[in-house]
Amino acid sequence: MKIKEIMVRDIKSLSGRESVKDALNLILKFKISGLPVIDKGKLIGVFTEKDVLRAILPSYVNQVGGFVYGDTPKNIKNKLIKLAELKVSDVMAKGVEVVGEETALLEAARLMLVKNMRRIIVVDKNDKVLGIAARCDILRALMDLAK
Amino acid sequence: MKRKIILLFFIAACAGLLSRNIGFNNHQVLALSIFLMSILGTLFFWSFRLAFVFLGSSVLLLTGTINFESLIKSASLDVILFLMGMMVAMGLLKDAGLFAWIVSLMLRIKNLTANKFLIVICFISALLSAVTSEVVSIIFVVAAILEICDYFEVDPVPFIIISVLATNIGSAATVLGNPIGILIATKAGLTFEDFILKAFPLSALCLISIIFLVKVWYHKTLIQLGEKIKEFGANEMLIKLISIPIEKQLKIALWIFGSTLFFIAMHHRFELLLNLEDNTILLTMPLFSAGCILLWKWRKAREFIEKDVEWWTLLFFMLLFAQAGALSFTGATDVVAASFARAAGHNQSGLIVLIISASALGSSILDNVVLVTAFIPVIKSLKGVGFNLQPFWWALLFGGCFGGNITLVGSTANIVALGILEKERNIKLSFFRWFWIGLTVGIISVVLAAFALIFLPLYHA
Repeated sequence: MKIKEIMVRDIKSLSGRESVKDALNLILKFKISGLPVIDKGKLIGVFTEKDVLRAILPSYVNQVGGFVYGDTPKNIKNKLIKLAELKVSDVMAKGVEVVGEETALLEAARLMLVKNMRRIIVVDKNDKVLGIAARCDILRALMDLAK
Repeated sequence: MKRKIILLFFIAACAGLLSRNIGFNNHQVLALSIFLMSILGTLFFWSFRLAFVFLGSSVLLLTGTINFESLIKSASLDVILFLMGMMVAMGLLKDAGLFAWIVSLMLRIKNLTANKFLIVICFISALLSAVTSEVVSIIFVVAAILEICDYFEVDPVPFIIISVLATNIGSAATVLGNPIGILIATKAGLTFEDFILKAFPLSALCLISIIFLVKVWYHKTLIQLGEKIKEFGANEMLIKLISIPIEKQLKIALWIFGSTLFFIAMHHRFELLLNLEDNTILLTMPLFSAGCILLWKWRKAREFIEKDVEWWTLLFFMLLFAQAGALSFTGATDVVAASFARAAGHNQSGLIVLIISASALGSSILDNVVLVTAFIPVIKSLKGVGFNLQPFWWALLFGGCFGGNITLVGSTANIVALGILEKERNIKLSFFRWFWIGLTVGIISVVLAAFALIFLPLYHA
């Protein structure tokens, strides 16, 4: 089975120029964890909830080690206010792993597992986005194979 | 990029030709050119530094400039294992929340005033860098400064600069403060006690001088912070901002680290008592502690080794040490040492000034480990010219650590702190905003150290 048989073709996407706040509202509204970012028909990155968290929390949070926040620092509040000024292209993940539409379903599953991806984007030779497949789409298709 | 590559090869080739003219043989020319390429590689192509030392070391082996036995001997595995053990110990302390606990202590300073804040960040930065290493300590000191400055709505830049200056000064105080400390200790046969007797007091003196200087230099910022503290009142929100998850784990981690520090501090006494070779306990303790940590935290053992040990840096150090060994192996350093002695007029004090100035200036633009690695075989060769090497080792240590304050790329602590500042506050510091205060601090500390090294008999024993 190929990825093109199960991918969702009617995809929602974002532009790199949109504000992070608007983009976040969009993914919260559609109850999804992330969306591809497309510019002139080409994929330029992926915007996810995790990217927003990374932009809000201090960059040294991992390096300081184990601790528990008891309150919200002033700076985090400032960063939340400034989200409206940030563009999607400022926080999105770049250099995203993509596959072609002829990719086997299991290869897409392998990539998702190995690269810890929640969704995989399908592009053509010119990087034009053709569709998207989430983990649940792949699992559903694999379960169907077992029937 | 192209220009830099051309410049790198040009300088290395020029050095090769020049050294050929002053009487170096083929192997010496090759060893010098390759070592120079590795140094310049770190300056021009930081991300490729490991590739440079891999390729350079391969060429040295393939051309017979050095053999495998000497390469492995020169790679200073003792230093590498020491650093690896300390990295594992630091990983545990980080995981157990020690650093976050120190941040929380800083956030909870009672009856905070601007002067108290200045003194606390100076002493904490210096002391922590002396016992945990400059790169580890600067991260959480900067984290605390950012939170405090945000709370009181003052510019964090002066306080971050101050903490970095104090960190670099503190890093010279013990064997643990900077990788060059252990490197010099092993090559010169210095003990932790030597550092406590000779390096610690001088670092403390420099730190106190620097506190007075920055108090004047950042007078306006301190007044502004004082006013804000009065305006905002007590730091109540900061007090409850963070806490540590598992206190028992922190206590055990502190106990392990405390014991490690105790045995490292007393290593010379125990070595005498047990009739062990010099520095055996010093070099073994971090490895022993790392072993205990890996046993205690066996579920996370792989994580400590894979994530907390900076293999990239250690491999780079190993091969760089090996390349410096090739300089010594071929006898190139004897020629350089003789030139050094001539330049200083065969005068001990002149050579002290030359070494401390050259190492301070060099480490203001280069990684100090690279610089010290280059100097060590030269200093060893000076023994053959009839000098007392003791003050030279200390000159190398102080120059290498204090010189890091001169420019904003002078040490890893500077780069880490300014990186956090840029990421967190979008503040990109200009070269000169750092340079004037950095240069002043650099000159004061280097001059103080040079005077002590020349005039105090303590440093000649």
